Amino acid sequence: MRRALAAALALVLGASGASAQTMRPFSTYRQWHGETSTVARLDFAAGALRLAAGRPNELYRMDVLYDGERYEPVSDFDAARGNVTLGLRAAGDGGIRVVSKRQLGQTASVTFSPRSDLALAVALGAVDGDLDLGGLRLTSLDLEAGASRATVRFSQPNGARCRDAVLSSGAAELTVLGLGNSRCDRIAFEGGVGRVTLDFSGTWTSSSHVSVKMALGQVELRLPRQVGVRLTLDKFLATFEAEGLVRRGNAYVSPGYDQAARHLDIDITTAVGGVTLDWLE
Amino acid sequence: MRAPSRRLGVLALLALAVPRVAFAAPGLEPTGTHAAELVHAFWSLVPHIARSTTDPQQPHPTPQALPHAAEGEAPVPLDDLSKSTTIETELRKALRPHDGAIRVTIPNGTARLGDFSIGSNETVSGHLLVVRGTADVYGKLLGNLVTVEGDVVLHPGGVVSGDILTLGGEVRDEGGEIGGEVRTFRNASVLEAVVVPRPAPPSALETVFRRLAGAVGVFLTLGALGFGLVMFGRPNLEVVSDTVSHSFGRAFATGLLGQLLLLPTFGMLVVGLILSVVGIVLLPFAVVVYALLVIVAAVGGFLAVAHAMGETYTRRRLALGVMASPNSYRYLLVGLGALAAFWLAWSVFGWVPVAGDLIRGAAILVTWLLATTGFGAALLSRAGIRENFAGRLIPPEALTDEYLWATPQFGVTAAKRPGSRTPTRGL
Repeated sequence: MRRALAAALALVLGASGASAQTMRPFSTYRQWHGETSTVARLDFAAGALRLAAGRPNELYRMDVLYDGERYEPVSDFDAARGNVTLGLRAAGDGGIRVVSKRQLGQTASVTFSPRSDLALAVALGAVDGDLDLGGLRLTSLDLEAGASRATVRFSQPNGARCRDAVLSSGAAELTVLGLGNSRCDRIAFEGGVGRVTLDFSGTWTSSSHVSVKMALGQVELRLPRQVGVRLTLDKFLATFEAEGLVRRGNAYVSPGYDQAARHLDIDITTAVGGVTLDWLE
Repeated sequence: MRAPSRRLGVLALLALAVPRVAFAAPGLEPTGTHAAELVHAFWSLVPHIARSTTDPQQPHPTPQALPHAAEGEAPVPLDDLSKSTTIETELRKALRPHDGAIRVTIPNGTARLGDFSIGSNETVSGHLLVVRGTADVYGKLLGNLVTVEGDVVLHPGGVVSGDILTLGGEVRDEGGEIGGEVRTFRNASVLEAVVVPRPAPPSALETVFRRLAGAVGVFLTLGALGFGLVMFGRPNLEVVSDTVSHSFGRAFATGLLGQLLLLPTFGMLVVGLILSVVGIVLLPFAVVVYALLVIVAAVGGFLAVAHAMGETYTRRRLALGVMASPNSYRYLLVGLGALAAFWLAWSVFGWVPVAGDLIRGAAILVTWLLATTGFGAALLSRAGIRENFAGRLIPPEALTDEYLWATPQFGVTAAKRPGSRTPTRGL
């Protein structure tokens, strides 16, 4: 009886205890005026970030809900160079330290036009990120994930040829899905501590070279069977089982590597942790 | 006791499950164009709702040009809108009314108050600031556009060559062309609230009369309600009144607890009805009935306290040999008069420094104390149905000479008491 009463009381009092936060909504966008290429930089210190392909008639758009006491929105387009900077920057002397849950309650939704080539640089702090780059015309990607949990996905084939994708993380959990759709010639990942999952599924239209450097943590590779895989490993105290690969010199290769139309060459350097392989049918 | 306990337990369990149900809704995966559109649509919806609930008394200004600021006042350049929060700060400072008027200087531009539109054959050169109004663009604006507490509507064929910044508004692009960037702060506090001149404070005499009128009005209303209660529900009123007399401490404690549990009980009622599905239909009625019950218990209890006070006083007077008609109407009048005395004293002497506040505090304290006791007595006696706490079920050995001496055993008053309810008094 007492417990039930206490529970009901807690519910009633708790419902009224939810206080309104002083979060501020801000939106920005730019119409697409036939721009063929855009260099975009996105800085987001804390909160939840969603990035995706947007409307064709908008070069970019950002809808953000932010803590007005510590941050201010950034939206700056340099028409001469075609550069755009979006995100949130620290306001005043607050710094970019994450000091309250309110900042983690910040949200941002960013979209880019699927018509314009996009060279994208993203810097994340303490962020729960979901970046769907499928459907964009990505020419390069530079992602820095500080202490974030981010998922980068290529749900659709990249509309442009991507020179390179550089991913780095401090103490983060990073999942990259559908790298086969990325059409990137070179993919590099550099991580400190954490866990990274590189999923190479998707439609392979060209060969790719992948470099993975992980200090301490787990590297999970999901490899497609239709692509010839060659893997070299430099490890110190890391575990690795070359399941489905055969040793050739200093490297491991998948059966039929030489005959495969597309090649995936992976160099892994890891100190402590493990490397696991999963084969995708 | 078991059944209510079990019910309460089930209710609490269901109540605990509510948040889970609320959060179990499948989240939208904001990926792709549809998600972006959805987010955009949502953001567009919010200001519409907010605007519909704004103060209707907010004056809609007559469209006019804003005069230039006085010399020495800093102008607000609108050349670079990328630092939008800085612009917001500068505008907040510049748009502060001086002598009731807003003045601002926009270098290479103009400032307008109220709605403003650029015609389809019109071309406006320079930056444009629109304060508290909608900017409708049918023609061309060769510059940047800033609105404060107003929207921008870009109609088909309309052109804004530069950037757009809205502070407390939104941009509705209906097919126009925007050369630069669009930045939108849907909520902004650039303008100070309109200062409504306060009416002159009334004189001391006027204050006294107002307070007297207020106090008399309230107690006349209570008197009318009390008379109605005596007329139509005297047995219940008497039981509650007797509960106050005989169980004052318990009634006060119960009233205090009842006040504390009012909201939780209401919450449980609402949650229970919602969870029972069928009860959702009854929810509006239940809310109204609950509120009415609380009001009836509070007012009825207060009147019962007045009745008890009046009865005690009258009986003491009778005991002293003063001839008076001992009836509930008199009791009520006497009791209410005594309670009104505090407020009447405050009405008359409330203007006296310190003493006025003390009288007011005493009046509030006494009123709350008695109202709480009355509320508790109403709860204890179940609105006058239960006589356990009213001291009416007195065992024969408790019928002392003093009790019988102080209680009228004969006459109209004794005869009018319902025999079934007052076994000890009707004898």
